[in-house]
Amino acid sequence: MQHVEIENVHKSFGSVEVIKGIDLSVAKGQFCALLGPSGCGKSTLLRMIAGLEAVSSGKVFVNGADVTNTHPAKRQIAMVFQSYALYPHMTVRQNISFSLDVAGRPKPEAAQRTEEVARILQLTDFLDRKPAQLSGGQRQRVAIGRALVRSPEVFLFDEPLSNLDAMLRVQMRFELAKLHEELATTMIYVTHDQIEAMTLASKIVVLDAGTISQVGTPLELYNQPANKFVAGFIGSPQMNFLKGRMETVAGREVRLELAGSGSVAILARGGVEDLKPGELEIGIRPEHIRPCNPGDAEANLSGRVELVEHLGNSTVLYVSTGSGRLVVQRSDDLSIRTGDTIGLAVDASRAHVFGADQRAI
Amino acid sequence: MKPNRAGLVGLLYAMPALLFVAALVIYPLGQLFYTSLTSTSLLGGGKFIGLGNYEKAFNDSTFWSALGFTLKYTLFITPVLMGGGFLLALLTWQNTRLKQFTRGVIFMPWVIGLATSSLLWYWLFDHRVGPINKILVDLNLIEAPLAWFTDAELGLWAVIISVTWKVIGFGTILFVAAIQSIDGEITEASMIDGASYWQRVRRIILPLSTRSILLTTLISVVGSMVAFDQFYIMTQGGPKTDTFTSVYWMYQNSFIYFKLGYGSALAIILTVIIFIGAATQVALTRPRGTE
Ligand SMILES: Nc1ncnc2c1ncn2[C@@H]1O[C@H](COP(=O)(O)OP(=O)(O)O)[C@@H](O)[C@H]1O
Ligand SMILES: [Mg+2]
Repeated sequence: MQHVEIENVHKSFGSVEVIKGIDLSVAKGQFCALLGPSGCGKSTLLRMIAGLEAVSSGKVFVNGADVTNTHPAKRQIAMVFQSYALYPHMTVRQNISFSLDVAGRPKPEAAQRTEEVARILQLTDFLDRKPAQLSGGQRQRVAIGRALVRSPEVFLFDEPLSNLDAMLRVQMRFELAKLHEELATTMIYVTHDQIEAMTLASKIVVLDAGTISQVGTPLELYNQPANKFVAGFIGSPQMNFLKGRMETVAGREVRLELAGSGSVAILARGGVEDLKPGELEIGIRPEHIRPCNPGDAEANLSGRVELVEHLGNSTVLYVSTGSGRLVVQRSDDLSIRTGDTIGLAVDASRAHVFGADQRAI
Repeated sequence: MKPNRAGLVGLLYAMPALLFVAALVIYPLGQLFYTSLTSTSLLGGGKFIGLGNYEKAFNDSTFWSALGFTLKYTLFITPVLMGGGFLLALLTWQNTRLKQFTRGVIFMPWVIGLATSSLLWYWLFDHRVGPINKILVDLNLIEAPLAWFTDAELGLWAVIISVTWKVIGFGTILFVAAIQSIDGEITEASMIDGASYWQRVRRIILPLSTRSILLTTLISVVGSMVAFDQFYIMTQGGPKTDTFTSVYWMYQNSFIYFKLGYGSALAIILTVIIFIGAATQVALTRPRGTE
């Protein structure tokens, strides 16, 4: 059995089913991200693991023990909240040692452990301050310290970085990654930010409206999205989706006619033998489209450049084509300008085909 | 433009409020103080006697016993109101329908006049027809009905019970608001940290409700220090002068003995005592720095 196991968990608030049957396992020491848009049920799922929310049905196991009906304090978990939820009337020291104090641990031991945690998180100089006298990043570290001091089996994080500004977020992300490397404790991390999930986690669980859409490593999700939802959610700028009419299938190669322009042949993943001709959808990431001359043989599409964004390390083009607007990203500095008519070559080996049910074919 | 023109305009804006305060507070207080320096009778007449009335109060044993009794009443009822109010708040702060209803019931007596509720309880405590005696006798807690208001101690407790019934909901409502304003994630964090219910009450809920508790205590103490109706109706100051409160003694002198000048002096003394007490409490408990 894995370190954290969730078996067929459902959750309803009144008549609204928010979590619709989720199975999940997280290995010991793994960093697992629960990723999904706002309102998809990430926090609810995490709170059920923490024991702050009762499951409507299903089971939760931590470290081999069925904790479905166990009090949050007895689940060997620690949680870091989005609002940090620091005790405002206590000093940093009191905040961190609170769990040791209420457990009646000897004072010297608690003090020593608190100092130790403060040292790891570089909070030693702030131990006697109140939360209101700390910056956002410091408060975040106190919240982590409060979790750390309990030496839990599992850390739970609920969007811990979303209240920080962009620069601090990148820094805290790095510190969290380092912390995980040092502690090697199991971590379950809720976020709606795919970059956080991609950079921190070795396992990402994509949630969509209370169900699991796909589970995989960051690269699996990026390279082999199981459906249109994951394909659109992972990657920035977002994947382009084009309507196409399937014409012929030869082996795994599907040839599609694009609306208003040329055609493209894409290598599908399989199960295309009994595909009937009809409407399909093609997904292609901005970085897998290459500008070329409109008349070139390799050009699958052509269109007019609406906008050029120079980001320094890359260039982003917004191209209006017969199949709708496409976003193109190149790492080289292009000389293309707004108003130009260009051809676009799709890297067919990196493109995806989605059926009517939005599953990748 | 003159530099303090803005200040002048500001003063002008504040004028109505200032006039209002002057007319309704400063002027009557001044008038009261002036009367306290005279031997004015309710029937008219009287002359300026300086601090004579204050001297008289100093030597008036009933003034001292009434002040002592008022302090005793305040000292007894305040913890009952604060502790009880907070316990009720802990029991009813969640917004379930039953608890909201219970809160409403607890608060209801607050809107009844104090005189009305005192009269109600006077009959509830009555030694011949009152149900309280009957229940206590039926439960074998007492052998014979008690004459609550012929004993100073029993009378005091009868009043405390009746006033508690009437005003406890006020504190409860303020405490409920304080508890509800505590971030739910803070409570959840303390649960995960392993705090038991009472540890949570003592170390999270109480400290984060300090402000409301102090404010309610202040209001309650001042209210108890000027207690009158409840004793006027329930004990009539008796037996003898044992349950005279400061305000009752002031009333007795002014309107029963017609000694308006002396009554005014007693009023001034009580005002000063309450003012000093309240100011001390506010100064001692002013929030220091950031939380
Ligand atoms: N206590 C609750 N009562 C009723 N509905 C809730 C409650 N908590 C969450 N929900 C609903 O459940 C859904 C999922 O919420 P949540 O788990 O917070 O989403 P996320 O964290 O992914 O943004 C939302 O539609 C939300 O409105
Ligand atoms: Mg959430």
